[in-house]
Amino acid sequence: MPLTANLDLLTPEFALAGLAFLVFAADLVLPEGRKHWLGWLSVAGLLALIAVSVIMLWGVEETLYNGLLAVDDFSLWFKVLFMVIGVFIILSSMDFVSERLEHQGEFYGIVLFSVLGMNVMAQSRELLTAYIALELLSFSLYVLAAYARDNAKSNESGLKYIIIGAFSSAILLYGVSMVYGVLGVTKFEAIAAGLAAIPDTGAVSPSLWVGVALILVGLGFKVAAVPFHMWAPDVYEGAPYPITAYLSIGSKAAAFALVLRLAAEGFVPVGDRWEQWQLILAVLAAVTMLVGNLVALAQRNLKRLMAYSSIGHSGFILAGVAALSLDSNLPSNGVMLYLVGYSATNFVVFGGLISFFNMTGKEMMSDLAGLGGTQPFLAASIAIGMFSLAGLPIFAGFAIKFYLFTAVADEGFLWLAGLAVFASLVSLYYYLQVVRQMYIEPAEGEPAYGHGYGYEHVDAEHGEQGAGHNESGEGDEPAPARRYGAAQFETHPALGRRPSVTVIAVLGAGLLAVFWIGVYPSPLLDTIEAASKAILS
Amino acid sequence: MAWVLFIALAVVTLGGGLAVVATRNVVHAALALLVSLVAVAGVYLLVYAEFLALVQVLIYGGAIVIVLVFAIMLTRSAEYPRTSDNRQWPLAAVAALGLLAVLVPAFLINAVQDTEAKNAAFTGIAQSLFTTWAVPFEIASLVLLVALIGAIIIARSGPGEN
Repeated sequence: MPLTANLDLLTPEFALAGLAFLVFAADLVLPEGRKHWLGWLSVAGLLALIAVSVIMLWGVEETLYNGLLAVDDFSLWFKVLFMVIGVFIILSSMDFVSERLEHQGEFYGIVLFSVLGMNVMAQSRELLTAYIALELLSFSLYVLAAYARDNAKSNESGLKYIIIGAFSSAILLYGVSMVYGVLGVTKFEAIAAGLAAIPDTGAVSPSLWVGVALILVGLGFKVAAVPFHMWAPDVYEGAPYPITAYLSIGSKAAAFALVLRLAAEGFVPVGDRWEQWQLILAVLAAVTMLVGNLVALAQRNLKRLMAYSSIGHSGFILAGVAALSLDSNLPSNGVMLYLVGYSATNFVVFGGLISFFNMTGKEMMSDLAGLGGTQPFLAASIAIGMFSLAGLPIFAGFAIKFYLFTAVADEGFLWLAGLAVFASLVSLYYYLQVVRQMYIEPAEGEPAYGHGYGYEHVDAEHGEQGAGHNESGEGDEPAPARRYGAAQFETHPALGRRPSVTVIAVLGAGLLAVFWIGVYPSPLLDTIEAASKAILS
Repeated sequence: MAWVLFIALAVVTLGGGLAVVATRNVVHAALALLVSLVAVAGVYLLVYAEFLALVQVLIYGGAIVIVLVFAIMLTRSAEYPRTSDNRQWPLAAVAALGLLAVLVPAFLINAVQDTEAKNAAFTGIAQSLFTTWAVPFEIASLVLLVALIGAIIIARSGPGEN
């Protein structure tokens, strides 16, 4: 069969790249006041592509380029998830981008490229293709993290992210090269065959294990698993708010799509040896969920809080990866269900927080005081999101945790499931702290922003790093005013302002999804089951 | 004969690498990096990977080191000889030596079987790059595009600055 015989199966990818170029081109001709149209253009394009992908690729099971890429239910499922994430991210960033950032057209175009990178990550069945797709996603995120270029923290965030990202990519590539050096292959299936061909008694070249370990470390950086998580809080804190959301939702989902396929096709079929690695992954998962949730207790900055919360959730998802096996689709189903539920919940939380930030320019937990009175809809949404993240029933968080932890326990990791429940209980404390701030703490009588309120915490926590923006803490000049330009200071007293249409759309759809997954997830589970079958068979 | 050449190249590569981290002058570090990278190209030649050697010299030896030197010249011309030292270097040294302690035995014990060294034809590389590996190749071009756009956005001065 010629290589290009079924090239038409890549139509969504070509169209997505075309859409990004269209956005870049339209940016050149649109006048300054109408740049937000580009956001709507991207959203419309992504929605059309979701429809095209589902109609074209439903039930298709083929490989392209001699097995480099797979077009199956698993790829389709993740592609749809990523494009929905793209739609939500663009919708929730539109106000932020038009009020606080320059170069709007490029922002949306780069988001589209990152979605393309994620799509290819879910489809790759080969290490180098997966790696280069991961790089497309990472490069887009480096740029987006540093997008608020007048803001020192955003610059710091972008710089830290690119250095850690390059470092982890190098580790990953080194691991790939060692696996290739020993086995001579990079396709997932061929890796499984090569590993299975090694006799149980025969000596194995240690460089193979070192290679696999380095790949694990490289991917561990990407999903922010402990002990490779140190970059996450700083990068999340400095990045523009919608990009913080994107980092915690999109890049995590994409990395886990890659991990799932790599583990399910490359390592799970090996049998005995997979059981040894399961233990390593389980320990990694346990450490990640404990450290993430315990350190989150001490956070006062909402973005850092969400960063540690997202590390904790990485730990839960890793537990599902550790439990993967050929006998049961449950762990893989659990991971995918968790990713959907976690994304929907995070959209609700971040939708509310971004809208709050757009009005006030503040990001400390204490700034939320009294929000229940001034912005009941935002406060209720954030509260529901927090309940869901903590895993309370009738919200998505309970259903996904119940399903995943049951699957993990079924596979013989009872201790890990128990630990996950314990970590969830710990997390309840800091999620409820946020709710308490909004509903029980009274609003400040005097507008607190007049004294740089809240930012002292940041400075104290950061030690030397804080020295850079100390000047904002003193004097009559309000501190936040210098952080993203003066515009937001004037809009701050308007906490009574109604949330914009896009915020209401994001929150409404997100809340609907949170309740739907929490109450009746079985239609979703049917599609997930089909996706799991595609990789575990 | 090949062994003698290899050891000579390895010494130059490692020496260059050590000089990069040991020197306190950024320009010297960039030049030491050049030495190290070119020696790696020599190692590629030894294993008959001519294409890689060529690309290594052109891209790493040429483009990247020159960009580095330019960046140093344009950004901190007054203070470039200053050290870029870091208090964490003992920790970094321990970590690097630890990795070395893992990697050396990994390569020595049960090493990869020797295979006949043979050179890959340029046409073969080109063919596989544009057929079998067309998708990663195209995605690499998008990565470069994103990097280019990002660099312009971040570096370009906004309204009111010069």
